[in-house]
Amino acid sequence: MTQVSEPPTTTPTTAPPKVRSGPHLVLLALYALFILASGSRAVVQIATKFDEAPVAYVLSAVAACTYVAGWFAIRRAAHGRPGFARVMLWVELGGVVVVGTLSLVVRDWFPDASVWSDYGEGYGWVPAILPVLGLIWVHRSPAAAPRGAAHE
Amino acid sequence: MSALTPIAWIVAGYAVLVTAAAALGAALRAPRPRWLDQLAWMLELLAAVLAVGALGSLARGHRPESLSTHLGYVAAVVVIMPVALLSVREDRGPWSSGVVAVAALATGVVAVRILMTR
Repeated sequence: MTQVSEPPTTTPTTAPPKVRSGPHLVLLALYALFILASGSRAVVQIATKFDEAPVAYVLSAVAACTYVAGWFAIRRAAHGRPGFARVMLWVELGGVVVVGTLSLVVRDWFPDASVWSDYGEGYGWVPAILPVLGLIWVHRSPAAAPRGAAHE
Repeated sequence: MSALTPIAWIVAGYAVLVTAAAALGAALRAPRPRWLDQLAWMLELLAAVLAVGALGSLARGHRPESLSTHLGYVAAVVVIMPVALLSVREDRGPWSSGVVAVAALATGVVAVRILMTR
């Protein structure tokens, strides 16, 4: 009995595009780490010694929320929807610059350090570098190009 | 010097080795080799030994300045690498080695932080 090979089936166009391997994997890993680090730091500080440096601790919590949003933004960008990432990464970079500058200029507000104090010095300045790397990736990577634009 | 100190430094030193190997693989754009996974799981084993040692120290009555911070680091040191390897289990591309590099570096840093907060 002979077997008749079936014609190749086509993938439905409605299926979500498979995300390729790329630098965004490393960005996502870094964002996940900073969600863990800044989130747990903020929770412990707010729960145990909020009165000591309320501004710094609230800003640490804001940083943690920003990293959560940044993680989702990069994930969306990797699926060809870079709009949110283009906004969110600038917001994150602005936060690092503003909080870093305030921590140097208005020392009274920061009796204890927040995640973004001194532009993230306590974390090896990775908080300042991370949004810049993200923006470079969003603007240069074909994976982060809007759907349909990658093949143009 | 407690037994925790040499274990933590072994973890940190080995983590640097794994970080370098993984970063080199990513830089050379090579697919993630199986032996890198084995190096990473060996680091996880060492991290688990460190965590058990830290918990043993607490059980013997030692109290760190901030118990919650110390316990957070102890939990993190054993969680980071499995989560990273799980996230790239179906991806053996060069950038998955970058994820292993990030996780190994973080594990090493957390091992040192365990020493600093005990």
